[in-house]
Amino acid sequence: MTTEQDTPADTLPYKQPSRTEEWFETLSKYGVTKAIVYGLLGVFLVWTLFPIYWLVTATLKTRQTLLSFPPQWIPLDAQFGNFARLFAERPEFLTYIINSTLVTVVTTVLATTIGAMAAYAFVSFDYPYNLDFHLPFYILSTRFMPPIVTIIPLFVIFRNLGLVNTLQGLILVYTMFNIPFAVWMMKGFFEEVPESLVESAMIDGHTHIGAFFKIVLPLVKPGLVASAIFTTIITWNELLFAVILALNDNAITVPVGLASFVTKFSVQWINMSVAATIALAPVLVFAFVARQQLVRGFSMGAVGK
Amino acid sequence: MVSVQYDEVGKKYGDTIAIEDVDLSVEDGEFTILLGPSGCGKTTTLRCLAGLTQPTSGRITLDGHDVTDIHPKNRNIAMVFQNFALYPHMSVRENIGYPLKVANVDADERRERVEQVAETLEIPELLDRDIANLSGGQQQRVALGRAIIRRPAVFLMDEPLANLDAKLKMSMRSRIKVLQREMDITTLYVTHDQEEAMSLGDKLVIMDKGHVQQIGAPDEVYHEPANRFVAGFIGSPSMNFVEVISEGDRIRAAGAPEAFDVRLNERVANRYRDHEEFTLGVRPQYFTVHTDRVENAVEATVEVTEPQGDEQIIDVEVGPDPLSITVVAPSTVNADRGETVWLTVEDELLHGFDHTTGDRIAETDDVERTSRASTSADTRS
Repeated sequence: MTTEQDTPADTLPYKQPSRTEEWFETLSKYGVTKAIVYGLLGVFLVWTLFPIYWLVTATLKTRQTLLSFPPQWIPLDAQFGNFARLFAERPEFLTYIINSTLVTVVTTVLATTIGAMAAYAFVSFDYPYNLDFHLPFYILSTRFMPPIVTIIPLFVIFRNLGLVNTLQGLILVYTMFNIPFAVWMMKGFFEEVPESLVESAMIDGHTHIGAFFKIVLPLVKPGLVASAIFTTIITWNELLFAVILALNDNAITVPVGLASFVTKFSVQWINMSVAATIALAPVLVFAFVARQQLVRGFSMGAVGK
Repeated sequence: MVSVQYDEVGKKYGDTIAIEDVDLSVEDGEFTILLGPSGCGKTTTLRCLAGLTQPTSGRITLDGHDVTDIHPKNRNIAMVFQNFALYPHMSVRENIGYPLKVANVDADERRERVEQVAETLEIPELLDRDIANLSGGQQQRVALGRAIIRRPAVFLMDEPLANLDAKLKMSMRSRIKVLQREMDITTLYVTHDQEEAMSLGDKLVIMDKGHVQQIGAPDEVYHEPANRFVAGFIGSPSMNFVEVISEGDRIRAAGAPEAFDVRLNERVANRYRDHEEFTLGVRPQYFTVHTDRVENAVEATVEVTEPQGDEQIIDVEVGPDPLSITVVAPSTVNADRGETVWLTVEDELLHGFDHTTGDRIAETDDVERTSRASTSADTRS
């Protein structure tokens, strides 16, 4: 019988760990690797969450305590009156919130509906000349160019159509902007729904459209929710088009309103923090409530066979 | 319950022919199996009847009514899919009752009929479960339940057992057969498994490359295959084919005339008098394996043996440029790899196939092929 020692390493029936592997094993045995991982995660958390913490605490400070040095890490005398003051000093901010809400809700509904239907059509029907491959790509390609490129022609067109300074104009732009994303997101989901389900539904007495609404849509719900959330976030936060296309209170949205706190003469730090916190809240809440759907939505594979 | 009739049905995808000139009639209450290798067009044939595929030529009638252009939802047809196609977002109860729900049957009657169907399929305890928590066999039963609840005129099944394990397959097979007999519903069933086809069907439709090769009862396609394809496809292990030359009452393998040289009895030899060369077809079961030299036998070397319990499959090689032959022998035959055995042929049971067309050379004990063709034409009109 041969022992391990006198068998040459390359004839062993298993692979011996290298020096580095052994070293790593020792480290993890004493919890060093875990500590490093948690340390890095901690740094990452501070890096991403601190600005938000700073923003939210700023709403409770005065201008002096906000700009004091050394900084006041925790607001000592909370100024809840800041919220009331914002709406007293800038009553139009309420209009901006209403505008933003309208634009976001309508855009989300439109973009998700149109996107889903388009995606289903691409997935389930045959097109000549391979169009079911080319058209989705063309749709996506509208997002390839920097958005700023289209703004000048868009502004001219909108001015001639009387769409500048209107919510409809913004909704139109944002819907166009979000459809490519919705199409591609939903395409993946529809591809996962077995064709036989639709066929089965048709044999059970549905038309194709009936099968789409009753069988297919409920199955791709995580996808619908995920694209709706994404559309909502993008639309709620959009600044570039709104700055150019919304010039008065009829159509100004929250991000444009936020930017208006920076004036030629001063920056209204406290008002701006309060407004930004208000702008931040709905998206955070929405994403938090739907986080499970969102994760399922982005990891695909949500349709059970 | 209706009869089904295909008249020269064809389906092309661009230049690719999926099926061509399919003529088929299924009697009321008959269990018909569409059998063939994958890509032979059997599923396309079935889907044309369901209305899921639109034929490019020909017509399909149910009880004499042309349904070729009718939407699937308006044909009184139920279908079981290979992947079961159950609706994952509904419970078992909702799945089974769904066709009734779409048809606006009121909730009370729906509940009652779902429970009846669940009784029949012995799954009442599953009714409130989610589809995702069911095993393959249970899903299969739910799919069957959804299909039978409407009491359809025609029942279509597309490889319904393909996703089940072997044991479950056997039990579901007999269940399907009993169900079909009890409900007396005209059924078309697609499979690539010839054993399943033989055990289930009243009538087998054997297809290859988009064409119907033979239509007949299971015994008929086994014992009187129309051509070389059917002969090779039906039966397990498959039939042995040897290119032979006929010399009077002797036949010799074209590739190994010395090694494979068999004298046939006169009646059998007479069949092949007019064919100088033809393809000999012998089922593995129709060879007898001897471990000692016998008269009029083919000497062969054992390549490998596969024990099957009571019997064994033996692959042998014949001649210098080896000709592979598979035989089935009782497990009592003692043959090991490399040993020499002698094979005799049951000459009454062998078949000859035309060298060029592949059609079977007529055998005197055949039921007259022409008369059979005309009877099927009669039932059609």
